[in-house]
Amino acid sequence: MDASAPTGVGILIEGLSKRYGEGAAAVDALKDVNMSVAPGEVVGLIGPSGSGKSTLLKCLGAITTPTHGRMTLGGEVIFDQRWKITDLTALRRDRIGFVFQAPYLIPFLDVTDNVALLPMLAGQPDARARARAMELLQALDVVHRAKALPSELSGGEQQRVSIARALANRPPVILADEPTAPLDSERALAVMRILNQMATQYQTAIIVVTHDEKIIPTFKRLYNIRDGCTVEEAGEARALQ
Amino acid sequence: MISLAGRDILHAWGKFALTGVGLGLLIGVTLTFAGVYRGIVDDAKVLLANSGADVWVVQKDTQGPYLESSSIRDDVYRDVLGLPGVAQAANVTYLTMQVRGRDGDVRALVVGFEPGQPGEPGFLIAGRRITRSHYEAVADVKTGFALGERIRIRRHEYTVVGLTRRMVSSGADPMVFIPLKDAQEAQFLKDNDAIVNERERTAANPALNRPGEPGLLEAVNAAQASNHNVNAVLVRMAEDHSPDALVQTIQRWKHLQAYSRTEMEELLIAKLIAISARQIGMFLVILAVVSAAIVAFIIYTMTLGKIREIAVLKLIGTHDRTIAGMILQQALGLGVIGFIVGKIAASVWAPLFPKYVLLETWDAVLGFFLVMVMCALASTLAIRVALKVDPAAAIGG
Amino acid sequence: MKIPFTLPRWFWLAVLGTALLAAFGWVAMKSGPLAPIQVTVTPVVTGEVTPSLFGIGTVEARRAYLIGPTVAGRVERVLVDVGDQVKAGQLLAEMDPVDLDKRVAASGASVARGRSAIVTAQAQLADARSRLTLAASEARSYTDLGKKNFVSQSVVDGKLQQQQSAEAQVAAAEATHQSAQQDLARLEAERQGTRQQRGNIRLEAPVDGVVTSREAEGGSTVVAGQAVLKLIDPASLWVTTRLDQSRSAGLRVGLPTEITLRSSVRGAVAGKVARIEPVSDSLTEERIAQVTFENLPPGVSTGELAEVIVRLPTVRDVLLIPNAALRRRGARSGVWVHDDGKLRFVSVKTGAEGQDGMVQVVDGLKAGDEVVVYSQRELRDGSRIKVVLSLVKTAK
Repeated sequence: MDASAPTGVGILIEGLSKRYGEGAAAVDALKDVNMSVAPGEVVGLIGPSGSGKSTLLKCLGAITTPTHGRMTLGGEVIFDQRWKITDLTALRRDRIGFVFQAPYLIPFLDVTDNVALLPMLAGQPDARARARAMELLQALDVVHRAKALPSELSGGEQQRVSIARALANRPPVILADEPTAPLDSERALAVMRILNQMATQYQTAIIVVTHDEKIIPTFKRLYNIRDGCTVEEAGEARALQ
Repeated sequence: MISLAGRDILHAWGKFALTGVGLGLLIGVTLTFAGVYRGIVDDAKVLLANSGADVWVVQKDTQGPYLESSSIRDDVYRDVLGLPGVAQAANVTYLTMQVRGRDGDVRALVVGFEPGQPGEPGFLIAGRRITRSHYEAVADVKTGFALGERIRIRRHEYTVVGLTRRMVSSGADPMVFIPLKDAQEAQFLKDNDAIVNERERTAANPALNRPGEPGLLEAVNAAQASNHNVNAVLVRMAEDHSPDALVQTIQRWKHLQAYSRTEMEELLIAKLIAISARQIGMFLVILAVVSAAIVAFIIYTMTLGKIREIAVLKLIGTHDRTIAGMILQQALGLGVIGFIVGKIAASVWAPLFPKYVLLETWDAVLGFFLVMVMCALASTLAIRVALKVDPAAAIGG
Repeated sequence: MKIPFTLPRWFWLAVLGTALLAAFGWVAMKSGPLAPIQVTVTPVVTGEVTPSLFGIGTVEARRAYLIGPTVAGRVERVLVDVGDQVKAGQLLAEMDPVDLDKRVAASGASVARGRSAIVTAQAQLADARSRLTLAASEARSYTDLGKKNFVSQSVVDGKLQQQQSAEAQVAAAEATHQSAQQDLARLEAERQGTRQQRGNIRLEAPVDGVVTSREAEGGSTVVAGQAVLKLIDPASLWVTTRLDQSRSAGLRVGLPTEITLRSSVRGAVAGKVARIEPVSDSLTEERIAQVTFENLPPGVSTGELAEVIVRLPTVRDVLLIPNAALRRRGARSGVWVHDDGKLRFVSVKTGAEGQDGMVQVVDGLKAGDEVVVYSQRELRDGSRIKVVLSLVKTAK
């Protein structure tokens, strides 16, 4: 099991702003946001709804174009007042992993293929992609379900598979959007445990957007976002069993 | 690389297969309609080819004998026989009428022919050719008559001694071949009541029934009852002689109308088939539109059912072109299944159609390409929807 | 949807797909233009064939008589009716004699009068002769006297003139007598004629026979030559048969025939060709033959239709093929020979044809050659064929 090679500085966001609309009706969803996450770190992003959490996530995920600012990902500047990458979809595929509220696995692909899909799309030969998928499934302790369809898995198993999928192309960054929202505290903590484990193992920078009180105490560092501005805070860093 | 389209189809194969079968039946109907049109054209061509004639001689200023009725004297053929290049010339009569068999009436084209001459069926599938000069018949299998069956045409009974196939009129009525003299009588001689009536009327006419001239009345009755007309003379040319020259000669100084095989084909196909062709063409267009609509609808619903997955795929890094390709492949796959099912269905039920259905290979190949194009076009609706999906939908509010 | 099989789903769907493609391929080969044409074949055999000619005939009476008057007149009475058997000489009908009887009487009276006229003429002749004798003797005497000059010459002349006049009178009286005799002859001839005419109004049967129609009743007026009754000799019924000129080769007097009457339930009766008409019908292109019955069946009527089959002598030891095998190629007639799976068109010349459809091959084939009998459609050089036993299901 090889740990990923260091991929640089993780995520670095400087002066990111996003304005919707024009003139008098304009809304500044993000105002001069600064953020940094180191490889291997799991950072929380908390704030009330409407505070700009989703907008920030969308900018980070290269779905929306920020108005101003600079984003550096894995050592590479991907945005500086405008996109520096032409193929944003490939960027998302290769450099960013997504974990959603619900597993959102592709129902007509089996577990292995769900995980191997992104590497295959990235051009890897099928055998190598599937091998990598098996590795990750092993690490996440769901390899015994490798040939099953998503509908046959329990909720927890599906969530783990989705995390494996996010890691499949060894992205420097994983964006997790409310991954524990539907879960009870035991399961939620289990997910956080896994995320921390994977972050360390693969040296991935992970940003977890959440308002789940159950897991907020587990973060070492938090970013609190309010009205488009972020404030860095120290977390309680409660240990995870 | 996994085929996303293939996996999706495998996953929902029941729905896909069912749609494929439904589409296939529609395509089968479309192919059958095209086959019906080809069959109508083929009927006309076969009618002309089976007569064995190169030139048709008919009444002046008519387009007979198939499109219009034509009546000429039965000694005209002797004049035609003497013209240069003519190998054979023979009288024929055609009349569509009801023929009574064991199991009821059948509508048939009764053909009067001379054995060994043009007008005789070229091949048999059972039985033998006519050996007696009267009261024997050769029938097409579509009449339903069996060998040895006694059938009734007007006043006489005929024994079916031979069977043939693909001998149909341009109106798809099967043909029954009987000796020329019997056919002339059947066509031109009236029924008993009419004959008795005529006789009485002639007897009551003082100009024709003179007391001082015994035998006059009988002679007049005999003249009225005799029939010396036929519908056409069929001509077979000797080798290396062009029918066109003969057609010109006959038209110029024989006061008759003549048509070569090419002209007859044009006449029949153009006039008889024009309306059918338009009808069938319209049906084909309607069926194509309906099939396209069904494909579009099915692919659209399948895509709508995958909106969330599509949003997720886009977000995690699947290019638009990959997603569009998946949808297109599904539509084409549906088309392929539909076409195969349709072609098999059309071939299986074609013989059961009352009209002759001719399924040509080129029509099937063309049909396949059209189905593919139609499916591709039908998929554009779903592709548009898929491309418009916002990946951010995967990320909640 | 889960399939409860251990093999992966794709395997079963692949099987289904292959089956579909196989069906597709089968359909493409079996039907449509790619399929081979089914044919049946038969070898050329040696055998015999009994050709026969076929014709439609009408029963007619060889001898039919129209009984009617020789002059226009009125029918007085008709003594027989349709269907009656009559004997030769039997009185069948009578015309109205009108004035014929009276005219016969009148001519009798004329004859009698003629006879009287002869008697008169004879008397007159005798009288004139006697006068002549007297005048002659007087003339002699007076001539003597004149010579002796006892009387004048004029008196002698006068007496001579009297003698001449008496001679003339005798001549006249002889002529009158002769003419009276000729007149008598004429009157007698006239009387014979009138008698004969009177005889002609009796319509008598010329032979034994059966009355077939009664054309006029008593009181009707008929013209000369119009029939009052029609008579036939029932033993002389024969069938006037019409045969197609093109299919009447070999027709000869004496050939045996089978006659099937339209009305007959018994089937065919035997007959013979009695006469072939020297004049054929050029308009209908038929030859006409008269066919007699071997034994005339009872209840046959004239005008009845009959089918006549004339049996020609059997031709033995010849090559035979079914006539369904004959095909036309342009203006040539021939058959398709099946040789090692390939087809070859061979022109043949045919000879006699039997009623059953077997036809003699005169030229073009040899025994054992396989010929195509039935085919699903027209054959061409190079058509792909498949030999089967039968093209139709056997009749139900």
